[in-house]
Amino acid sequence: MATASVSTPLKSHAGLFSSRTAGGRMPLTPSPRQRSAQGNTNSSPFTPEKLSGDSQRASSKSVYGGNLSSHFAKASSKGHRDSPKSNIARSVSTPRKVLELGVSDFTLTGTGAHNKTPVSPKIKKAAAPLRQKSTKTTLTYNADRFIPNRGASSAIANVGSGKLDMQEKQRPRSGNGEASSILASATDDAIAALEGLNIDDEEPASYSRPSPSSAAYQDSLASACGVNVNTRILQFKPAPPESSKPIDLRQQYNRPLKPANASSAQFRRRIATAPERVLDAPGLIDDYYLNLLDWSSGNQVAIGLERNVYVWSADEGSVSCLLETSPDTYVSSVKWSGDGAYVGVGLGTGEVQIWDVAEGVKIRSMFGHDTRVGVMGWNKHLLSTGARSGLVFNHDVRIAEHKVAELVSHTSEVCGLEWRSDGAQLATGGNDNLVSIWDARSLAVPKFTKTNHKAAVKALAWCPWNMNLLATGGGSYDRHIHFWNTTSGARVNSIDTGSQVTSLRWSTHYREIVSSSGFPDNSLSIWSYPTLVRNVEIPAHESRVLHSCLSPDGQMLATAAADESLKFWKIFEKKAGAGAGVAGAGASGKASLDKQMTIR
Amino acid sequence: MAAAAPEKDKYKVHKLSLKGSAKLVAEFFQYSIHTILFQRGVYPAEDFTAVKKYGLNMLVSSDDQVRAYIKKIMSQLDKWMVGGKISKLVIVITDKDTGENIERWQFDVQILAKPKSKPSSSSSSSSSKTPKPTTTTSTSTSTNQENTPSDPTAPSPSGTPGVEKTESEIQSEIAAIFRQITASVTFLPQLSGDCTFNVLVYADASSEVPVEWGDSDAKEIVNGERVQLRGFSTASHRVDTLVSYRLQD
Repeated sequence: MATASVSTPLKSHAGLFSSRTAGGRMPLTPSPRQRSAQGNTNSSPFTPEKLSGDSQRASSKSVYGGNLSSHFAKASSKGHRDSPKSNIARSVSTPRKVLELGVSDFTLTGTGAHNKTPVSPKIKKAAAPLRQKSTKTTLTYNADRFIPNRGASSAIANVGSGKLDMQEKQRPRSGNGEASSILASATDDAIAALEGLNIDDEEPASYSRPSPSSAAYQDSLASACGVNVNTRILQFKPAPPESSKPIDLRQQYNRPLKPANASSAQFRRRIATAPERVLDAPGLIDDYYLNLLDWSSGNQVAIGLERNVYVWSADEGSVSCLLETSPDTYVSSVKWSGDGAYVGVGLGTGEVQIWDVAEGVKIRSMFGHDTRVGVMGWNKHLLSTGARSGLVFNHDVRIAEHKVAELVSHTSEVCGLEWRSDGAQLATGGNDNLVSIWDARSLAVPKFTKTNHKAAVKALAWCPWNMNLLATGGGSYDRHIHFWNTTSGARVNSIDTGSQVTSLRWSTHYREIVSSSGFPDNSLSIWSYPTLVRNVEIPAHESRVLHSCLSPDGQMLATAAADESLKFWKIFEKKAGAGAGVAGAGASGKASLDKQMTIR
Repeated sequence: MAAAAPEKDKYKVHKLSLKGSAKLVAEFFQYSIHTILFQRGVYPAEDFTAVKKYGLNMLVSSDDQVRAYIKKIMSQLDKWMVGGKISKLVIVITDKDTGENIERWQFDVQILAKPKSKPSSSSSSSSSKTPKPTTTTSTSTSTNQENTPSDPTAPSPSGTPGVEKTESEIQSEIAAIFRQITASVTFLPQLSGDCTFNVLVYADASSEVPVEWGDSDAKEIVNGERVQLRGFSTASHRVDTLVSYRLQD
């Protein structure tokens, strides 16, 4: 054993030695510490070795033996400070066998190793950090003590693990900055010794591989080693999905789990889920791409039913038929002008008519589109019309040459179009799944073109309290509501509604938005913004809700659905007392007069 | 058989068979994953909706992809659980940028030696099945002893099998764990930067491994701090919870 061990260490020695010395370590003061340090290093691997010697790991043992001997050799070589050696011999009584081994090595190597001895003075520093614990005892060779300390944790109990632990300990030390600095100052011998340790470590480290080295994990380490034999650690390999939100919301700890007003019933707004009024809308065309319902500022509701446009006065409850188209076409869109005096009517032929409602006469017809006009929007005297061709025209209704702009962006039918209330921006949505946001001052190209939706975009709504906020809702394959900052073009929020979004309306006095749904829900959903909590879902119609519009006072929502009914919902009712005056015009007047009203 | 029948009846009263218990544990894992993802902010809070479970409001991701991902994990986990192949489930939270493991939630599963529970299944086909769970039991038990020698919440790894628990007792034990997980947010370091997660399983060497699963290291936290949380036990399983996390420098 002794001879074999001697030979191995020598080899490693030389190699390490040379490389390390090249690094240019700084010499330091010699001292007993150094010796102790060496003793320590030697002993630490050494003792476990002995323990492990009993255990089954033959391979590791051999490695160790080699190191050990090498260390010893070094130690001894330095050991021209003889006193420590003698101490060692005495103190290290427990590992007796090994000790002797070491001694013998020492003697053997003594002559050969001599060259190293001169360097010794510097070792001290390196040694010092390593052995803080051991320094307590005056004996340099307290290494033995050192071991028990570590072992005490759990290593001793489990032989195999004990060894691993030792290595762990050693390694991090030598590895980290402190250790390296120490090393730097150490003598060649010390370096060599340490290196020897490191190298040794590598081998055993392979055993412990499954458990990464860490002092805090000694226990788990040990167990891991034991477990390794008959268990596998399996990882679910597919990468977990990315988090969907563009914003980092990691600061969520400070917020309540759910917004207070959405979660607790006492804070939640009570929303009437029954319709205030139900009217028949026979002949309403079940076509997602049309816009056949609008509520004027003068509190009149216009609805297009096949070839007719009816106007229902909410104040008086009276219904009148405004117009009937020629039999070869149909009404594809209606839109009140801002002052509520005129209604624009888009036809299947592409013709756009403007009617004076009070007089019941057509003021003018505007041609230009050669496909049906599915959506319109007023901005003062400008009427924007979107057609099936994908073109959007701006008409100045005051002048003969009415077409003042052609907005080219969509490649498929335009079905959504909304002016911002200040007229500075226009949003359009089409069957090409695009949302285009236009700056009214430069209509040559859209300011932004958003491709996030995966289906046609009909539902568009500008936020009344934040001019830069636009909500857009996609069709059956998309089902999302996206919220955009139209100044920066950024998407600020998204909701997956679970069904086709057919229209969106912001509340004017709650921080809420209502969406109407097509298949499968056929419902109205009211969402808080910006929390995006669904406050209520109202099963509104028997088939898909096609159109919706808000009353001028913002309290009432009218919905027209494919079940050929027109329903009025008081979903944004103002709190009692708060807005009675405003509400009076629309709601109460209506309530009293509704009785005899039906459309048709 | 006469002797076996009463056994069986008695067992029915407590009604959690090995299979049922495995299911319960697997379900616990599922909610644990959701809860940890929520509490640790791996996904934005808006993605989660509250569901009543264990008498608590459990937050469950409503993101389709996340749900599908967890569902895929759970479908395999269910099989392993029923087969008694699993000794640990580990959820590792990793920093997306550095790839460093930041937090590690470990659920130790031991299958309790429960010879009395066997009769129910033994009436049909006992001989082949019985040995398997028994062997796993022994290994996992020894594992646990090494691993958590000082576990205060696991006073009776051997004692529990004798004591039958009602389902509501088990549920309240589970609820206590979730309360602890929730409360652990207060001492765990705040996660900064984008994080992602991985699910590890310590499985029997003999278990069948589908393609989505591959060998991995333990993803231990280097120089981590460890905190033992509560555990719960059913008639045939005991689950202990341990979180380890990277110390802040």
